Amino acid sequence: MPPLRLRLQLFSVLRERLGREVLDVEVPAGSAGGDLLDILARTYPDIAAYRSTIRLAINEAYERETYRLSPGDDVALITPVSGG
Amino acid sequence: MERLEQKNDAVWLCIQEHPLDVAAIAAYLPTPLVGGIDLFIGTTRQWTGSRETVTLSYECYPGMALKEMARIARAAQDRWKLERVALHHRLGPVPAGEASVILAAGSAHRADAFEACRFLIDTLKKDVPIWKKEHFADGTEEWVQGGG
Repeated sequence: MPPLRLRLQLFSVLRERLGREVLDVEVPAGSAGGDLLDILARTYPDIAAYRSTIRLAINEAYERETYRLSPGDDVALITPVSGG
Repeated sequence: MERLEQKNDAVWLCIQEHPLDVAAIAAYLPTPLVGGIDLFIGTTRQWTGSRETVTLSYECYPGMALKEMARIARAAQDRWKLERVALHHRLGPVPAGEASVILAAGSAHRADAFEACRFLIDTLKKDVPIWKKEHFADGTEEWVQGGG
């Protein structure tokens, strides 16, 4: 199975720390959302710092880390929000 | 992104860079079935303890923020008997004293409006993908991480 290529959207503190709005990544086919976060945390210390508080938004809705990722999924890393 | 909006006879959602229009929101809420309106305005606070804030700046996840606001409005409508609900949030810089968020609920009887309004602000602060950065008078700045 070819790896899964995903484009991630970054906001707020992650966008600033990584200096970019999108991040293109490859993960093994069949990966879950939590696997993706673990891979990112190993690669990017700035993501590791927020690993435990990041929520995954997939196709513009919150999903659990057990969510099975598919090609074309629109993934965003949501650090604790602070609207209001 | 200037303005995201969704408006019908029951719900009015808006995310915009312009100052929020409290009069327009207050005018939207009454209907012949409404007997009470509760309206919450969140503003930029200048002082937090001894730290002075000059401005807050807000950004959102445009594709998702309005959808989450719609979900919260539906949850409130499911839980309380509401005639009209409004959720408006400002983006970009919001200087001290100006409104960053206005939420309102209109219902036949006041208890529904009061309780729904509290739920709307508490849930918005927890779930809607909007973030604020504090710009302090000493020149420093920092992203606020949750804690709403």
